[in-house]
Amino acid sequence: MKILVTVKEVAEAEDDFDIDGLDIDERYLEFDLNEWDEYAIEEAVQIKEDGDDVEVVSVTIGPERAEETIRMGLAKGVDRAIRVWDDAFADVGMLDPKTKADVLSAVVEDEQPDLVLTGVQAGDDSFGATGVTLAETIDFEWGAVVNALDLDAGAGVASVHRELEGGIEELTDIELPAVLTIQTGINEPRYASLRGIRQAQSKPLDLHELDDLGLEESDLESPLSRTAMYEPESEGDATVFEGSAEETATELASLLRDVGVVEG
Amino acid sequence: MEFELPSEHRMTREMVREFCDEEIAPIAQEIEEEHRFPAEIFDALADLDMLGVPISEDYGGLGGDQLLYALVTEELGRVSGSIGLSFAAHVSLASKPIELFGTDAQKERWLTPLAEGEYLGSWALTEPSSGSDASDMDTIAERDDDGYVLNGTKQFITNASVAGSILLKAVTDPGAGYDGISTFIVDPENDDGFSVSTEWEKMGLNASPTCEITFDDCWIPEDRLLGSEGEGWKQTKKTLQGGRVSIAALSTGLAQGAFEAAREYATEREQFGQSISKFDAVRDMIVEMDRKIERSRLLTHKAATMYDDGQDVTRISSMAKLDASETSREVAEDAVQVLGGYGYTTDFAPQRFYRDAKLMEIGEGTSEIQRLVLGRELGL
Ligand SMILES: Cc1cc2nc3c(=O)[nH]c(=O)nc-3n(C[C@H](O)[C@H](O)[C@H](O)COP(=O)(O)OP(=O)(O)OC[C@H]3O[C@@H](n4cnc5c(N)ncnc54)[C@H](O)[C@@H]3O)c2cc1C
Repeated sequence: MKILVTVKEVAEAEDDFDIDGLDIDERYLEFDLNEWDEYAIEEAVQIKEDGDDVEVVSVTIGPERAEETIRMGLAKGVDRAIRVWDDAFADVGMLDPKTKADVLSAVVEDEQPDLVLTGVQAGDDSFGATGVTLAETIDFEWGAVVNALDLDAGAGVASVHRELEGGIEELTDIELPAVLTIQTGINEPRYASLRGIRQAQSKPLDLHELDDLGLEESDLESPLSRTAMYEPESEGDATVFEGSAEETATELASLLRDVGVVEG
Repeated sequence: MEFELPSEHRMTREMVREFCDEEIAPIAQEIEEEHRFPAEIFDALADLDMLGVPISEDYGGLGGDQLLYALVTEELGRVSGSIGLSFAAHVSLASKPIELFGTDAQKERWLTPLAEGEYLGSWALTEPSSGSDASDMDTIAERDDDGYVLNGTKQFITNASVAGSILLKAVTDPGAGYDGISTFIVDPENDDGFSVSTEWEKMGLNASPTCEITFDDCWIPEDRLLGSEGEGWKQTKKTLQGGRVSIAALSTGLAQGAFEAAREYATEREQFGQSISKFDAVRDMIVEMDRKIERSRLLTHKAATMYDDGQDVTRISSMAKLDASETSREVAEDAVQVLGGYGYTTDFAPQRFYRDAKLMEIGEGTSEIQRLVLGRELGL
């Protein structure tokens, strides 16, 4: 069985930052693996550890800078990694979910995975659509916002819990091959061990350019583009209560009374 | 000249930092107040292969270099001096000498559990009346058939109360001076006549046990002799060279932790209608911290790199240890100052770094002794 995990290095901004053109000034950015992808990787590695003959491959669309982040996945148990990049990506700037799904579908074509795990969303763009769009593009079954997964590899069925709006959970069986978008909290992502980090240095991390995937620059034309970047005005202030539960509960009660949420 | 760390080293530092921030930082003050050795943290470090970083893979270690080990030690120091000290004593003092001087059978039996993190190790040189003048020791090992009988007291021994093995320095030939000292592996669980007589209350580092231990006709078999009789002092010098690199790294970490706390506070705290970091006096203190830390870290990495290259590091490891230990105390003191009254409270970390930093100028050779070593290296 083969599991493909799509991962992304995302930028996280410091609390105080400046905007530089269409982006946050790089000085205020720190790059790390997208939080949801941590859980997707952990889920895949756990499936590998519980089963036999499971291969876990990660794929990212990202510049060279992302390699160390991707290698951390290898250190946690991913068997090999694919990085898709080409100068053309740098020129495009923003990729919408459909364009990304097209690129990823070329990788799926090559790899023929039984299961694709993605994060529910990426912490920077927060489209939350790439996984499902990919499923549609490659004609796989899909389940979005999965917070529990029980895989019967033999029967080719994934029994999942899906988190719906309003605290409702849906239990459903999804036939493989499928794309599942993984929600945080589904597992407890591990720390990479030092031996894992050591071994990851020699695990394959292959670069695929557009050519290698049978794609052309025109395939990257995205209907979306970023036109402005600004900080929204904050409309209210958050009140943070500090202290023991009794103290803070009393403070909260009087605030709720003051603003009229509770009467009396 | 290469100042960029290799990828493995950067990734290890990142992972260890994340672990420290998530798992150690939240309890760092609590374990000091409770005087509690955090066994659960060391179990976790063992699971992540951290307890045998520079030890050969043949004996359960990671097979990493001294530079990697220094990076890990610095990261631990950045959040907890106690955990960093117990860690460094375990690796540099209690494990490394077995790898360097032990037989294959000794490594199999005594090094593997240390490197795999089954238990911590300890190293006993200092005595109640012999510290800086460490070779002038009273603990004695007398031959007895197919073993040795140990008698004496060792002072300020890190980890002794939680250790699975202790490397003990004792006199085997009282007339021979430096050449009369030997090293023995003691099993504190099973060797009769061994006891922990005191666990000290200290100014800081109270989650790292510091013990007085006593040997009262403690018999051990002869296969516990490490290396040959009379080699104990030469081994000690070699051991301390590696050890000093780790104390330099630990000190750099303490300074880094104090610096980060001061920097963050200075940008948030406002007085006279502006952030205190905008006052020259405060800014200059923080800039000084950054400068000193960079200097100490460079010396530490140079010492570690020279150690890895097999060069003589007597001078550079001593210099790195002297410089970084003073940096840590100075930076931590200024960090308390930057936080003002809050810096004096246990709600904030700088006071803890300040307490912990002071030991760095004392352990593994006081600053005075480092200057003595450095003067000797200059032919003075
Ligand atoms: C928390 C802690 C952990 C420790 N862990 C260990 C351990 O794991 N194993 C171990 O064996 N030891 C350990 N030690 C002991 C430590 O290494 C000694 O305390 C240190 O070497 C100093 O020895 P001393 O305390 O006897 O001081 P002394 O040697 O009595 O020194 C007192 C003062 O005299 C100065 N002085 C002494 N000789 C000279 C000289 N020739 N020139 C100038 N000044 C001099 C010293 O610098 C110092 O200022 C630890 C100590 C502490 C506090």
